[in-house]
Formats: sequence, structure tokens, C-alpha cells
Amino acid sequence: MANDVKPTRKNLMAIEDRIELSERGHGTLEKKRDGLIMEFMDILDKAQDVRGDLAQDYEDAQKKINMARAMEGDVAVRGAASALQEHPEITTESKNIMGVVVPQIESSRVSKSLDQRGYGIMGTSARIDEAAEAYEDLLESIILAAEVETAMKKMLREIETTKRRVNALEFKLLPELYENQEYIEQKLEEQEREETFRLKKIKEKKEAEEKAEREAERAAEEAALEDAQPETAAQSPAANQ
Amino acid sequence: MSTGASNPEYVNARVRSRRAAMLSDEDYRKLIRMGPSEIARFMEETEYEQEINALGTRFSGVDLIEYALNRNLAKHFDDLLEWSEGHLYDRIVRYLRKFDVWNLKTIVRGIYTDSDPEEISTDLIRAGELDDGTIDRLVEVDSIEDVIEILDGTIFAEQLEDAYEEFEESGALVPLENALDRAFYENLLEDLGRPREGPEAKYVEFLEAEIDFLNARNALRLARSGADLDPAAYYIDGGVLFDESDLNRLVGDYDALVDHIAENKRYGDRLSGALDRLRDADSLIQFEHALDAALLEYADTLSSVYPTSISPVLSFVLAKEREVENIRAIARGREVGLDENEIEEELVIL
Repeated sequence: MANDVKPTRKNLMAIEDRIELSERGHGTLEKKRDGLIMEFMDILDKAQDVRGDLAQDYEDAQKKINMARAMEGDVAVRGAASALQEHPEITTESKNIMGVVVPQIESSRVSKSLDQRGYGIMGTSARIDEAAEAYEDLLESIILAAEVETAMKKMLREIETTKRRVNALEFKLLPELYENQEYIEQKLEEQEREETFRLKKIKEKKEAEEKAEREAERAAEEAALEDAQPETAAQSPAANQ
Repeated sequence: MSTGASNPEYVNARVRSRRAAMLSDEDYRKLIRMGPSEIARFMEETEYEQEINALGTRFSGVDLIEYALNRNLAKHFDDLLEWSEGHLYDRIVRYLRKFDVWNLKTIVRGIYTDSDPEEISTDLIRAGELDDGTIDRLVEVDSIEDVIEILDGTIFAEQLEDAYEEFEESGALVPLENALDRAFYENLLEDLGRPREGPEAKYVEFLEAEIDFLNARNALRLARSGADLDPAAYYIDGGVLFDESDLNRLVGDYDALVDHIAENKRYGDRLSGALDRLRDADSLIQFEHALDAALLEYADTLSSVYPTSISPVLSFVLAKEREVENIRAIARGREVGLDENEIEEELVIL
């Protein structure tokens, strides 16, 4: 609040520094926000594609496992699944997009060849192969979706934060600083005017005093002159006589 | 193992009555329009009543149907082994050992995943040669080594022992599962020779078809998968469709493989429609479906050619398996929301 600020030149200079810094920060944050939005739009397109694929893969995998359960029996499908030796693994790394740290998920042992699934080939059927393959594809899609959607959420959060910062600078901090600057400038000008006025008054007073003094001196001189003139006149007739 | 004289007449008479109790086309048409609980209720009114009632307290919905079907299948096949004697027993048990393979795989997988013995036991289909006592012992053991030890003296022991080293090196169940399947298929034709005529010739022809179809199925799966696998490891000797060198040569060339099957005199015409679809389609499922149908038709033809041989029994075994698969397909299909046409396409009905 402007009233809380002491209207001193030092504060004015400090506020001017803060205004300069805030304006520069505001510009930078605006650029960051725009950049993030552009990156976000790219990720959003990718996320929409990944979501579409995920929904498709899920439907496909469900259909294939349903068919496998129907034709081979639930017991056979469960049995084949339990033979799995190497379970899929994921490792996460991170990458930086305009200052936002987003995860990069690496998966291994998700897609397997026929001999890596654990179940014997001779005693199983293509239905189980196809169900396993469809679920491997689904898992790949889920991992990709997790990566893209986490990146998207983090970007969105960062955009929100940046936007709030830009707005705070634009609509709160900078207006307050401008207001304080104006207040201090006005106060300083006012102080300057008061000072000038005061000096002027002092000067006038001083001049008036000096004038009065001079007039008093002059009056005293005149009075002295007047006192001296009758004495001279009285001496003159006597001299004439 | 039974050592008495063969008794096909008696067994066939019993099988005929069992076959008469199987579901008709009309029953399938009704089932396709029912939901899972209606199917369970329908089954209560058929020969599955006993199994549905026995398992009704433990399971519900489609699980109840599936376990009841498996138990009923096991009961029928167990009866076949009980009725049959001598030569006939030997011929039937050769084929029914596929359920021993199923049970052993289930047990090995259970041990591998540290499953509860009761859970393992639930998934077994006790229709093979191994008696209940042996199976119960197998379910209770903690290691695959113990399983191999208990199986000593069976057709599976040697192959399993060989595969165990590979299992220990890789940690994957594939070698053990393949060893079990290989032991079963290699034993199918053992000591049967190549009779040229009579019921035995037809029986051998059927078993050859089973092996050929398995080889064709696996060759196509390997060719499709593009995995760097040795085709010889998945080849079963005894069929007429491929020899090992054919398979090694053809696995790398999918079209040539399909052509090879199509050009075969015994199966080419029977499978031509499915092979044509296979050339264009991405999926092997329809082809596998055609193989199942062809095998069923094969067995059915055999039963009418030699009615007092093992053929009607074999035909019943396949028909019963197919009935169980069909009912399960309908129930599971309805459970997961498949429509009537989709389910109907998947059924194999003679």
C-alpha cells in the first residue's frame, strides 16, 4: 500500500529498481508461458493420439482375452499367464522441457517373443499367443500414455504457475509499485514545493525585517536631522544682529 | 494298466448310450440365447446335474459351469478307462494322457508360482492315466525335482529329466512344458507300426492327423511370430505332412508353408477353405478352428467305418471334448458380452 511507504528518495530509487526488475521478469515469464503453451499443444496432440491408441489397444486386448477365455477356458489362460518368467520392468529418467522436469519412461521385457512368454508352445494355441501379444501392446501403450500424460500434467501445472506469476506481476505487483512510485514522487514534489514556499516566506520575512530596519534607521536619521535644524536657526538671527 | 483281453463291444455299447446323452443342435441353439445363470440351470437338468450340484457351493457363474464341465469330462473319460481292457485300454489311454499333460503342466506351474495346493487341485482334470493318489502326491510337493521323482516309470520321466537342466539354466517353464507335450505326442504312435488297413490303420491315421495338425499349427505360429526359434525343437515325428527338413526349410517362408499344407493329398482338400482365408488374414485362429473341425470330422468318419473298434470310443472322446468346449465357449462368450453370431462362429458342431 502506498501509504505504508516512506516517501523518501532512497525508497523511490529502490522502487524504481524493483519496477525495472519486475518488468523484465514479467517479459521473461510471458515468453516462458507462451513457450510452454506451444510445447503443451504439441504434447496435447501426442497425448490425444496415445489416448486413442490406448483405447483401441484396450478394446482389442479385452476382445482377444475374452475370446481366449471363451475358447480355451479360463483355467488354460490363467495357467499360461502363470508360466510367465520375466515380468516387464520400467525405469524412469527425466528430461527438461523449458525448465519443467518431465519423466521419460523406459520399458523392458514388455513385448516378448513366443519362447519368452514362459508357456510351452506345443500345448497352447494361437488364441493365447494373440491375447498375450495384445496385452503386451496394451502395456506398451499404457507406459507411453503414462509418460505423455504425466508430462502434460506437469506442463499444465507449470503453465498455471507461470500464468499466475505473470498475472501477479501484471495486475498486483507492478501496479502497486507504480502507485508507490507515483505516491513518493508526488510527496517528494510536494515536499519540494513546501520547501520552496518556506524559503520564499523566510526570504520575504527577512526582506521585510531588513526593510523595516532600514526604514527605522532612516527615520532615526531624519529625526536627528530635524532636531539639529532649529538649533542652527536660533543661532543665525543672533549672528545677524 | 489293464492286461486282459480287449473288449471293444462292451465299451462301444456303453459309449453309445453316453453319446446319446450329449447335447443336440437344438440344445446349442437354446444355450446360445441364454445367460450364464440360465446355462447353469439348464445344465442342472441335463447329465451335468451331479457336477453342478456338487460344485454349486464353491463356485458360481461361469466358473461353476467351467469346473462342472471339466469334472464331467473327467468322469466320462475315467469311466472309459475303467471299462476298457487290454489292447483297447492301451489305445484309449494313449490319447487320454493329454489330460495327464494338462495336469502335470498345471502342477508344475503351480509349484513355479508358489500356488496353494488346493488351488492347483481345483484346476486339474483327472481324466488321464495317472491315478488320484499319484496326482494328490504331486499336488503336495514343493519342487519340480520331486515331481520328476514321483513320475519315475511313466512316459514323462525321461523327457522331464532332460528338460530339467535347461529349466534350471533358463528359469523358464518352456522346456518342461514342451517336454511333457513331446512325451505325449511321441508316445501316441509308439509301437503301432504303420498298418495299411483295418481299424488299426484308421486309428493310426487319426493319430497321424493329430500330429500333423499340431506340427502345422506350431509351424505357422513360429513362422508368424518371427522369433528366432529352432523349428526342430517343436517338431513331432510321426506325421505325414512334414518331415524335419521340410519344417526347417518352410518355417522361414510363410507362403511356402501354407502352399505345402494345401498341396498335401490327405489334408489339402479338407483344409482348403481355411488355408485360403489364412493367406489373407492376420490371425491363425480361424485356421486352428478349421483344424479342430477337421479332426472331429475325421474321428466321426472313423466311427462309422469300423463300429466295433476303438474308433467310436475315440469319436466319443473328441465329441465330448468338443461339447465341453462349446458349452464353455457359449457361457464365457455370453459372460463377456459376445453376440449370438460371434459365439455361433466359434462353435464346432458336427
